[in-house]
Amino acid sequence: MSEPNKSCLVVEDSAMMRQLLVFALHRIKDLEVTEAEDGVDGLKKLAENRYDLIITDINMPIMDGLKLVKRIRSDDNYKDVPVVVITTEGSQEDRDRAMSLGANEYITKPIQAPKVIATVRQLLGMVSESTSP
Amino acid sequence: MTDSDEGERASDAPVDLLAEREQFVRTFLRKGVELTEELLRENQELRDELIRARDHSAQLLTQVRSDEAMRELLQTIERLEGEKRQLLSRSEQLEASRAHRDHRADSIERELNDLANLYVASHQLHTSLSVRRVIRHLHDTLGQLVGAEKFVIYAVDPEESQIIPIGWDGFANEEVLPVALGTGPIGESCLTGVSRIRSSADMSPEGDEDPLAVVPLLADGRPVGAIAIWRLLEQKSGWAKVDEELFSLLGAQAGMALIAANLYSRTHGPLTALAGIAEKL
Repeated sequence: MSEPNKSCLVVEDSAMMRQLLVFALHRIKDLEVTEAEDGVDGLKKLAENRYDLIITDINMPIMDGLKLVKRIRSDDNYKDVPVVVITTEGSQEDRDRAMSLGANEYITKPIQAPKVIATVRQLLGMVSESTSP
Repeated sequence: MTDSDEGERASDAPVDLLAEREQFVRTFLRKGVELTEELLRENQELRDELIRARDHSAQLLTQVRSDEAMRELLQTIERLEGEKRQLLSRSEQLEASRAHRDHRADSIERELNDLANLYVASHQLHTSLSVRRVIRHLHDTLGQLVGAEKFVIYAVDPEESQIIPIGWDGFANEEVLPVALGTGPIGESCLTGVSRIRSSADMSPEGDEDPLAVVPLLADGRPVGAIAIWRLLEQKSGWAKVDEELFSLLGAQAGMALIAANLYSRTHGPLTALAGIAEKL
């Protein structure tokens, strides 16, 4: 019996990073990936559909990732959904801030696809063999 | 001899003789008793000896059987030891094979990751004909894929014989100045077309004015610009293997992407940009 599909929202203003993340996440079987270009676009997509996991950058125009995390955690529909922050900000202070706002994982750029894949799988409770060849 | 002498009875024997006979009988009987007792004792001793001998014999028999069992056991142990050695050897082979496979899988994952970076960098660089977007993609490649924190993207201005900054990060605007062609590491790189990339071990901390890397951007074999990196992100301690590939890619493609976008900006859309292409074949 196959696992039901999981869905993931990637909120990232850099088209390059979005493409790279989608490229990596598509290697996880049964994971649907949706893209958003900034925090506001992310909130719009969250209102339209239900997602099992959210990946967000921090430095974005219009609404940054930390504000987005705060909004997500104040929403009853999403307060328990795992959030992964992926950012160039590598200081412990930035990490602590994101985690205190409710992020579940904090990954710094440049990203390593295997680490992103492993983190997403773990947060979604997916078995490790579910990679597409 | 008289009749009275011939008819003498035993009871008529002298008292001494009778006593002697009685003594003899008693002695005889006592000796008989003693002999019997001794025989009985010897018999008992022999029985005991027999029991001990039987016990000993049983022990010996048990030991012999035990020795045989032991020999069989030892043979079994030896056989099992042999099987164990074979299994261990097989297990070690499998373990080595698994380790090799894991290592290979990790290696493939890394290569896939690197190839994805290169593909995405190249793809994004050529998906736009807007100068601003091309510079933005260069920005993203340097900041998010290479992990540079402080960098400048330059273009050669042939009329002024200088190199002008067209994009940067980590610097205040007033800090970013044009560079004379042929002067300093950036000017030299733009003149010669040769990269200058310091090794990870040679990366000094903050305060060094020399860039960590200068990569000329080539078009038709000539330098048309350069990227210079002064500092990497906090979490990045040195160059990754893919950085070298990214520098090669940028060196070969970024200059042409900038030229294409710049030429395109003077046209009125893609179809106008293609006008007259057949005449150039």
